[in-house]
Amino acid sequence: MKPLKLSVSGVRGIIGQAITPELVIDFASAFGTMLAAGPIVVGRDSRNSSPMLAAGVVSALLATGHEVIDLGLCPTPVIEFQVKRQKAAGAVSITGGHNPASWNALNFINGQGTYLDEFQGQELLDLYHLNRFQPVLFKKAPGIIRELNPEEPYFDWLLSRLNLPAIKQAHFKVVADPVNGAGSKLVDKLFDLLGARLTAINNGANGYFPHDPEPRPRNAMEVSSLVKITGADIGFLLNSDASRLSLVSENGETLSEEYTLPLLASYYLKKHPGPVVTNLSTSMMIDEVAKEKKVSVIRTRVGQSAIIQAMLQEKAAVAGEGSGGLAFDYFQPAFDAFAAMALFLELLAVEGQKISSLVERLPRYHIVKDSLVCPAHRLHTLVAEVKKLYPGVEINQMDGLRIEKKDLWIHVRASATEPLIRIIAESSSPHRAQTEVDKIMSYLRRLTG
Amino acid sequence: MRKVLPLKISVSGVRGIVGQSLTPQLAARFASAFGTYLGQGQVLVGQDSRPSGLMLKKAVTCSLLATGCQPIEVGILPMPTILFLTRKKQARGAVVITASHNPSDWNGLKFIGPDGLYLPASQIEEFLDIFHQGEFTFVPAERLKPALTEKNAGFLHLRRILSQIDVNLIKKRKFRVVADCANGAGATLLPSFLHELGCEVRFINTELTGKFAHQSEPTPENLKELGREVRDFKAALGLAQDADADRLALVDERGRPLGEDATLSLSVDHVLSRKKGPVVVNLSSSLVIEDIAGKYGVPVYRTKIGESNVVEKMMETRAVVGGEGNGGVIWPAVHPCRDSFTAAGLILERLAGFPGSISELMDTFPRYYLLKDKFDCPAELAFRALTELRHRYQTKNISTVDGLKIIREKAWVHLRPSNTEPIIRVMAEARTAKKAKQLLEDFKNEIKQILNQLSQSGRASY
Repeated sequence: MKPLKLSVSGVRGIIGQAITPELVIDFASAFGTMLAAGPIVVGRDSRNSSPMLAAGVVSALLATGHEVIDLGLCPTPVIEFQVKRQKAAGAVSITGGHNPASWNALNFINGQGTYLDEFQGQELLDLYHLNRFQPVLFKKAPGIIRELNPEEPYFDWLLSRLNLPAIKQAHFKVVADPVNGAGSKLVDKLFDLLGARLTAINNGANGYFPHDPEPRPRNAMEVSSLVKITGADIGFLLNSDASRLSLVSENGETLSEEYTLPLLASYYLKKHPGPVVTNLSTSMMIDEVAKEKKVSVIRTRVGQSAIIQAMLQEKAAVAGEGSGGLAFDYFQPAFDAFAAMALFLELLAVEGQKISSLVERLPRYHIVKDSLVCPAHRLHTLVAEVKKLYPGVEINQMDGLRIEKKDLWIHVRASATEPLIRIIAESSSPHRAQTEVDKIMSYLRRLTG
Repeated sequence: MRKVLPLKISVSGVRGIVGQSLTPQLAARFASAFGTYLGQGQVLVGQDSRPSGLMLKKAVTCSLLATGCQPIEVGILPMPTILFLTRKKQARGAVVITASHNPSDWNGLKFIGPDGLYLPASQIEEFLDIFHQGEFTFVPAERLKPALTEKNAGFLHLRRILSQIDVNLIKKRKFRVVADCANGAGATLLPSFLHELGCEVRFINTELTGKFAHQSEPTPENLKELGREVRDFKAALGLAQDADADRLALVDERGRPLGEDATLSLSVDHVLSRKKGPVVVNLSSSLVIEDIAGKYGVPVYRTKIGESNVVEKMMETRAVVGGEGNGGVIWPAVHPCRDSFTAAGLILERLAGFPGSISELMDTFPRYYLLKDKFDCPAELAFRALTELRHRYQTKNISTVDGLKIIREKAWVHLRPSNTEPIIRVMAEARTAKKAKQLLEDFKNEIKQILNQLSQSGRASY
């Protein structure tokens, strides 16, 4: 089996196995056929497979009659910003996000600068499967416009929406690990503009990932030591396209990526009150924050596409996932780790608090996450099997199975990005969450043999 | 009935109409097959001036990267320059995005092997097998290489030619020249080249828009504009490149086309005057080559039509010069391929060492008249008719290397079924136009008569 994952927002897989030139060109041709006339923005992360995918994408977009605005190496939030700025018909962001270096993906972005919604995504898949593309005859050839420094207007825009004097006055010390991804180097610019002193590691944009490009505590050891050594106020970890963020507190504590959303939402909602959108797998901490701010929480399927779609529909103020992707209505409807990092500095400056004490104020929950490798063709049937463990219990089946009990929830779902079943449980009791996950894991192991 | 889309897959690569038969998917499959065939290594990617070149180049680059090759994008360059650079850079091969002289909505891919030579037929077969079977070798992410871009690599080619000719001798003459690049890739380098040779040049058709002002076959019709400009500019010589810049046609100081064989004759004579050695030309090249070789006492080998056939024989016989009568000069001192720049350099050097004009120089060669004709004939009949004709003439001096060539004293006639159309091509050459015409008519009548008999006996047997 070659793992290939098609979802409404894109296609991902392992280079040389599922991801081949023809697949890339076919998908990009379907996208070019689907979109109205107009230029299409293309950007990529720093993986060494990204230029290969970019070449195929550009070829297909030109062949379907679109001018290409090439941003080169560029993180997804900047691509999303540029779509609107350039009044483009859409964009393709070439990034494996949090996946390992052997993976890559095409992420399709619509003219509003957000991931395709489920209808657009379905249309794209239909066009791809029909294999009916609309190549143009080359009388007048569309060309490529190379946009240099696409981050400059983005940073101008971002800064104009922040309490810049307060941030600058605080003269923060910051540590960041952009994992040699597309956010590398740009963190220098951002923190320079914010008047902060940055110590950065893995800041080479060379696509060599010293650890998996997933912002979470087990990858945060280096940032933690650097925070302690430099006496920094905060430490940041990014994924390979700067769409996700996790934190290290000023005393070097590596915070679960689950903290990113509730910490920032509790500050942001004061200025911009409104509903919060999150997914079924995200910690209950956000419910506490929302209760305090008297706003509602809407839970959706997992994935940026579903979250952003709900954010727009519900006119939510904040949307985010426990994996560290956050979007804010006053900024853009897209997961944006730069906006989140800047807002964290604003939060620290305005509230005059340490990260550790903000964490203290949140209720302590224990979230246990595990996953089981499973053949792709059995993913969904195995997830359904888990229902048998909960007879007579009401189960939310919006995205896999979500079971709620008092002071406990469990979410079992097939990953949309890898051939994995993810099992997540949360409770105020660490023992209860772990027991529940173990029960399901051993049940599934028995089934998979 | 479904319309058949024009797509030609042949030994020289693939060609089609962009957006109809030639899609990025097809280009990617071909390049994946080529990358798989070559194994990993550096591969040059060049293109001509067609508007679809960029789109196809990206698809080719994508596939070369995916198969673990390292593409080196050299941009718009003449064909001989890319062939030269492939060897110079010790690349594993090259892909050139070009459809030579086809209209601008066409494009194609040409595949070049190691040492900057066209792939021989057997290798092409192997590569096409990989294409048809679709069994491509894609490498994992950690073995992908970055693509490279090289600008101005073409000057290496010019430098090589300039090192092989007497630049100072040419410079002294300060030739006035008109050059017609036929809107082909030659326009990227010909200005620099002629400037280096101290020529005062007027250029026409140098815009690289992918639109061709005229067809690049050096027929008198296509050389009219050049002739006018030569007279107007009072130039000593007119040079006309074809779209790929592998062939060169000449116009004399009075604006008259010098005939298809002039380029090769002048070049062969000049090279032999510097260094004696075997000469290789194709069957359809003029007899004047034998006269010239006779003057220097060197042998002439004749091969089937087609550049790769001539090149192969040249390497085998260690020839010092060769080519095709249609203006394709091959001088191995630069690179074993047809090269209009090499031809221009040799001819300017020859003219610089000659006290008269180009037309006076041409008068020093024996004059031959070459006539061409063709007539419709179904492919299956053409073969039988030529077999019958061969039986009739088998005791005479004939060559069956490519169709049938009957050789007389200072004259020949050559009959050859076309590979691409249901026609038979007839060519005849003799010392006078009248004799050539006679020869052509005689054999046309004879073959038509045979065809009549064949079709009648064919009908009778039903």
